[in-house]
Amino acid sequence: MGSPAACYRDAFTPFLTQTAFFRNAISGPDQLRQRVAFALSQILVISGDEVRPNYAMAEYQKLLLRDAFGTYRQLIADVTLSPAMGRYLNMANNDKPNPLKGTAPNENYARELLQLFSIGLVQLHPDGWVATDATGAPVPTYDQDVVEGLAHVFTGWTYPLQPGATQRTHNPGYYVGPMIPVAANHDAGDKAVLGGVLIHAGQTPQADLAQALDAVAAHPNVGPFIGKQLIQHLVTANPSPAYVARISAVFADDGHGVRGNLGAVVRAILLDPEARGDVKADPSYGRVKDPVMLLTGAARALGVTTDGVYLASASAALAQPPYRSPSVFNFYPPDYALDSGLLSPASALLDSASVFTRANVLRRLLYAPPGPDATVSGATGTQVSLGDLAPFGGDPGALVDSASALFLHGTLSSTARSMILQAVNAQDATDVAGRVRAAAFLVLTSPGYQVER
Amino acid sequence: MRISRRDVLSGLSLLGLSAGLGGRRSALAATDDYRALVCVFLFGGNDGNNLIVPVDGRYADYAAARRQPTDGGLALPQDQLLPLTPASGSAQYGLHPDMPELQQLWNAGALGVLFNVGTLVAPTDKSSDAAGRVPRPQSLMSHQDQQNQWQTSIPDRPARSGWGGRIADRLPAASLPPLVSVAGNTLFAAGERVHPLAVPAAGAGSFGLTGFDSSTGSRSIRGVMDALRGLDLDNALVQSVAGETVAAFAASGALAPVLAGGSSSTEALFGPTPSSLGKQLLQVARIIEARSVLGATRQIFFVSLGGFDTHNDQLNRQSKLLADVSASLAAFYAATAQLGVASQVTAFTLSDFARTLQPASGGGSDHAWGNHQLVLGGAVRGRQTYGTFPTLALGGPDDFSSEGRWIPTTSTDAYAATLARWFGVSTGDLVSVLPNLGRFPTGDLGFLG
Repeated sequence: MGSPAACYRDAFTPFLTQTAFFRNAISGPDQLRQRVAFALSQILVISGDEVRPNYAMAEYQKLLLRDAFGTYRQLIADVTLSPAMGRYLNMANNDKPNPLKGTAPNENYARELLQLFSIGLVQLHPDGWVATDATGAPVPTYDQDVVEGLAHVFTGWTYPLQPGATQRTHNPGYYVGPMIPVAANHDAGDKAVLGGVLIHAGQTPQADLAQALDAVAAHPNVGPFIGKQLIQHLVTANPSPAYVARISAVFADDGHGVRGNLGAVVRAILLDPEARGDVKADPSYGRVKDPVMLLTGAARALGVTTDGVYLASASAALAQPPYRSPSVFNFYPPDYALDSGLLSPASALLDSASVFTRANVLRRLLYAPPGPDATVSGATGTQVSLGDLAPFGGDPGALVDSASALFLHGTLSSTARSMILQAVNAQDATDVAGRVRAAAFLVLTSPGYQVER
Repeated sequence: MRISRRDVLSGLSLLGLSAGLGGRRSALAATDDYRALVCVFLFGGNDGNNLIVPVDGRYADYAAARRQPTDGGLALPQDQLLPLTPASGSAQYGLHPDMPELQQLWNAGALGVLFNVGTLVAPTDKSSDAAGRVPRPQSLMSHQDQQNQWQTSIPDRPARSGWGGRIADRLPAASLPPLVSVAGNTLFAAGERVHPLAVPAAGAGSFGLTGFDSSTGSRSIRGVMDALRGLDLDNALVQSVAGETVAAFAASGALAPVLAGGSSSTEALFGPTPSSLGKQLLQVARIIEARSVLGATRQIFFVSLGGFDTHNDQLNRQSKLLADVSASLAAFYAATAQLGVASQVTAFTLSDFARTLQPASGGGSDHAWGNHQLVLGGAVRGRQTYGTFPTLALGGPDDFSSEGRWIPTTSTDAYAATLARWFGVSTGDLVSVLPNLGRFPTGDLGFLG
């Protein structure tokens, strides 16, 4: 059995969810589902900083994997009633106003559902441009009254009943299955919610919730708001308005009359002309890799087999530990901009300190991958076979060309190629693996590899 | 390891920066002209209503609205509040019970308290706000927007630079960027001209490459890394990464030894196991200690602590956070005193917004607006409060809602201008640093001597 520290880590931090994530992300058969679920985990955020039980995070991760290609309406319903989300944004055990105690319904989930999970702060055109009023100011999508209306809708839900426990009006934290309604704690009054929808008094918690989520999911912002973020996570940080508009149209109708079909949306994003072909040479195209993409991309290309332990710690060192965001606002904002004004969300994590961490983490992975961690049950450590580059250690020219093909789509310039070749040839000729590592390290730490194109 | 001047100079000379160092006034002379601002951002929205609580007759208003903890309320017991006794007269306010170190610094005259500061488009009050005569800041009560607006002090339009960065834009060129964040990229430190440096917190990794040695192979890889930063820059995103990398390597030679463990005489003040905030402030102390050899005369630092979004279980959560703030800031103040620069370094808090006076279901509070802030340093006219304390009444004259959300009576512009002026920004330049400042009656709140 492990030490108390290891037991705590395994039970009350998302460590095991993270190691599973990295194993699946590197070698799982469902790569696209993994990638989309990870993107969703950065939009519909919960964090192990507050939701301590690891199994709660694992349940939430499974939810996102399951719903990744389903409808948005299903996703938002499942997320809303997820007990992990209920714990994170305080919808679990959120009570109607209590005049005796002087408490108001908790606004946390209501506010972030609107601002982050569905429609955002300002009205958008289908192409993602912000709608403005006569003075040029952005038009807000909702006001404080709507937040308070939804906060009242979201009263009267508690944690699922743990098998063997007795039902109470406020069940203790338990994270398997959806939250359950407690009508006695639900506000019974009229509630004004999004888009002028009035929820009438006297309904059940379930009926109120369904009506409110219908209003949210039907809002015209959802397509451009969620669609653009998925593009940014999957393809490019600065999609053209036309690209966003094409995705919004698929979100609105998948061609079979279904709104919010996320599978169709993802397909449209990846098959769009702007995701393929010559456009990749545009000077503002692409996305700075977030640390997780840097790590998983490098690991897959280098033939890494891993229990995920090193990658979990490396992702934390790079300020992107999956499922452990510092707040509901994710590791970085989707509108983080460079000095030039170009959007580059992941650049929020790329600063003069993390430049070194990126290089040092990659160096460790290549040159000294950690073996099994004795505190982790079933640990196997991390091994690096050097993958498709391994055969080329004795042929420096072919090695550098292969590294360019593998990591940079063959875009390495002849000048850069000759520089790398020079470093490869400066390595001990009898250490062919050392030559491969040198080439891989230089390409992986080059500015070009930090940008996915 | 103690960092010697020679280590730092050799780091600078690697950058080709040492040539002018001997002639630089600040390099070898005493540091009497040195000044530093230290922004301490409390991410999530610190509940100012429990940071500073009236201990006079108004305590009853406070307790009536905040309610008792046994009912899921948030009232702190009156007898546990730490009195903030002014230089003359009796205490009207008390500090959160878990901040004894800051109470001592108040008593020592180094801590000042600012009441009800907030993002403002222009001066307003309840009737002007209700009638829409003065527009509200864009996206009030949104974390990200309000964090940004506190950092830009421009709440009525998008802004891509922060007021820390804009102050630094007006400084003479220096060998190291004058803005140093120990908390990653931040809008506060982004100038229109100056790009900030980010350094790791103490113990959070090296500010340089690790794993390299002096072998031919190792040296060759390092040399080619340097070369590759200037190649294949056909894409703007790639260029931005290259630029960040170039800046990092340029600063690493001089700063890495300063930031390494054991480099500072002030380490022990932060205790054997500093908190995250303590580790950031230790880095700031290390850099301040090395200011002469680094050639720094004006520096602006950014550190942060998260977790203040206390929608539930607030009494426990905020207690731990404020205890950390108190201990870490006191350790930092002691470090500046030991270094002889206490009156040349001013630390100040910012936070997203205050929180509702009325408790929310779950023992927490929700997003609000105007908030109380702390300023700390030897130059602070401490043991005093500044600004107007709000009337603690739900739906009262300062509340724009019915849950206790205070309309600010002091702007972030006036707060920032007071700090900027002390730092050395000329009156003429203040309007460039704080473009909305002219809308407010004063640009000097008087808390700095």
